[in-house]
Amino acid sequence: MQRPHLTAALALGGAVLAVAPATAAARPTISMSGSTSVAPLAAKLARGYLRAFPGKVGFRLAQGGSDIGVADVARGRVSIGNSSRDPKPTDPGGLVFNKIARDAICVATNRRNRLSGVSQATVKAIFGGKVRDWSQVPGAGIRGPIDVIVRTPASGTQDAFQKIFLEKTTVTSTAAQKASNGLVAQTIKNDPRAVGYVSLAFTRGLNDARYQGVGCNLRNAKSGQYLGTRNFWMVTRGRARGAAGRFIRWVQRSSAAVPIISRGWVPLR
Amino acid sequence: MSAAAHPDPAAGVATERTDRRVELTLGALASFILVLIAGMIVFVFAKAWPSFAHNGLAWFGAGGNVDSQLGEIFNSPANPAAYQYTLHAWPLLYATLLTTGGAVLLGMTFALLSAVFIVEFAPAGLARALQPVVRLLAAVPSVIYGLIGILVIVPFVGNELIHQGRRKSVAYVVQLSGTSLLVAVLILTVMITPIMIAIIVDALRTVPRGWTEGAAALGVNRWRVMWTITVRAARPAIVAAAVLATARALGEAIMLSMVSGSVGFAPNPLDGLTFLFEPVRPLAATIVDNAEGLSVKPFGQTIYAFAAILLVSSFFLSFAGWAAKQPLKRYAGRA
Repeated sequence: MQRPHLTAALALGGAVLAVAPATAAARPTISMSGSTSVAPLAAKLARGYLRAFPGKVGFRLAQGGSDIGVADVARGRVSIGNSSRDPKPTDPGGLVFNKIARDAICVATNRRNRLSGVSQATVKAIFGGKVRDWSQVPGAGIRGPIDVIVRTPASGTQDAFQKIFLEKTTVTSTAAQKASNGLVAQTIKNDPRAVGYVSLAFTRGLNDARYQGVGCNLRNAKSGQYLGTRNFWMVTRGRARGAAGRFIRWVQRSSAAVPIISRGWVPLR
Repeated sequence: MSAAAHPDPAAGVATERTDRRVELTLGALASFILVLIAGMIVFVFAKAWPSFAHNGLAWFGAGGNVDSQLGEIFNSPANPAAYQYTLHAWPLLYATLLTTGGAVLLGMTFALLSAVFIVEFAPAGLARALQPVVRLLAAVPSVIYGLIGILVIVPFVGNELIHQGRRKSVAYVVQLSGTSLLVAVLILTVMITPIMIAIIVDALRTVPRGWTEGAAALGVNRWRVMWTITVRAARPAIVAAAVLATARALGEAIMLSMVSGSVGFAPNPLDGLTFLFEPVRPLAATIVDNAEGLSVKPFGQTIYAFAAILLVSSFFLSFAGWAAKQPLKRYAGRA
């Protein structure tokens, strides 16, 4: 009784071993999850990669937020976790953050309040709650109380805004916390008194203020003059290897990836 | 002949066996659901425990700013010994009570009056048209109400109903931008009323005609018959409708996250009319807004603590509904 079972098991194991590399070589799948800010860029890059290497790999792209991406890749659920925030001390060990692009964060107001520009001191005063009326803000087009709109603490954009614009200043406790770039943009569109911040891709229909005298647009972000830029990351468990590694290296180094990124974001080279 | 009188003993055994098999299968399924529910409760409470253990009863109290506390928890240092847990969740609990309570009270009044109208006073044609409309409304997904709220009602309240003086008077305490207790309660009421109307209409229709006709024959007018007999007899169903509506209001997350204000503020009834325009953020909306941070351990545990509170509240709700129905049962029994 023992023998046939053993041989059967061995045969089965052999078959699995033989089949697994064959399918893997045929078409590995790169799965990604994470930041909603990175997702549009990741989708465009995946399409470009498939055009460059047709049939070589498959892609699966999910969203969920930067922290979801980091947690997923740490548990091995995806091959790449997308993150729009920098590494944090609480992140699980053994992760490698691969920088792929930079993105601008714009301070935005309602179209009816043509705020032309803000200094960092003004941003700190408004978001920190020291200044609560538009009449106290130089360059504001309206008067009356300010409605401050921010993101929830878990947002990658919130993390970047805190580090780059606010530094040590804490956000006022009266600020409304929205869960996505889209909700912030919608709130600002509805409310003439509102001020908030969104990723560059979400500024349509809003009045984006110059920051430190520099307009918030792609050209200034690329030239490095606009100071409110943050990093986009593709996170892997350990050094990026295999199909995912080849994809990330293509994103970082290939001249074909640069024009894809430059259409809406800042390439690294 | 004898075979017909005494069926084949083997066949009898077979039937018995299938019956037994069905019984076992269904029993296993039912127990599986029980195990699933028990497992869920244990899971949620095990996850939530550190948050409760660290704060004790102060978890339910007021103190400090709940949003900055959540921020601190989210930005805890990496060292498990230094995790932050301090939280005073009163503004969120209070917001849940206000939105749910307000919507159920408003909705109940409205639903009862509409149901009475449909059953007793509406012309037959109108009643036939109203009932499918009400059932359709009950099935509208909440995110649609949320979209209407954020695109239409919130801007209207923020830009037309709240004047500059009111906004200025509280500018240092809270922002009045239209996302408010008022909008939250109104839309929640619209969401939960149709299901209450549908249940109450069905219940009013099952009250035996003899009772109402008897009263009418004695010369009592329709309005009094309705209130003193039909509605009284339908009270258990009315309680059931209220319980169902409260459960839906309690768990509503997406819509409330869109229109209720996104800030953990506890509105003060002493502010007069301003009270209605102040923002709130109930528990379920807080969970939705912050789900992105689940991977940060202490933050995730805090979110699970919110979930545990909602779970316990729904248990108490079904129990309260059951308890409220007990003394009313004697009305429903006689027919």
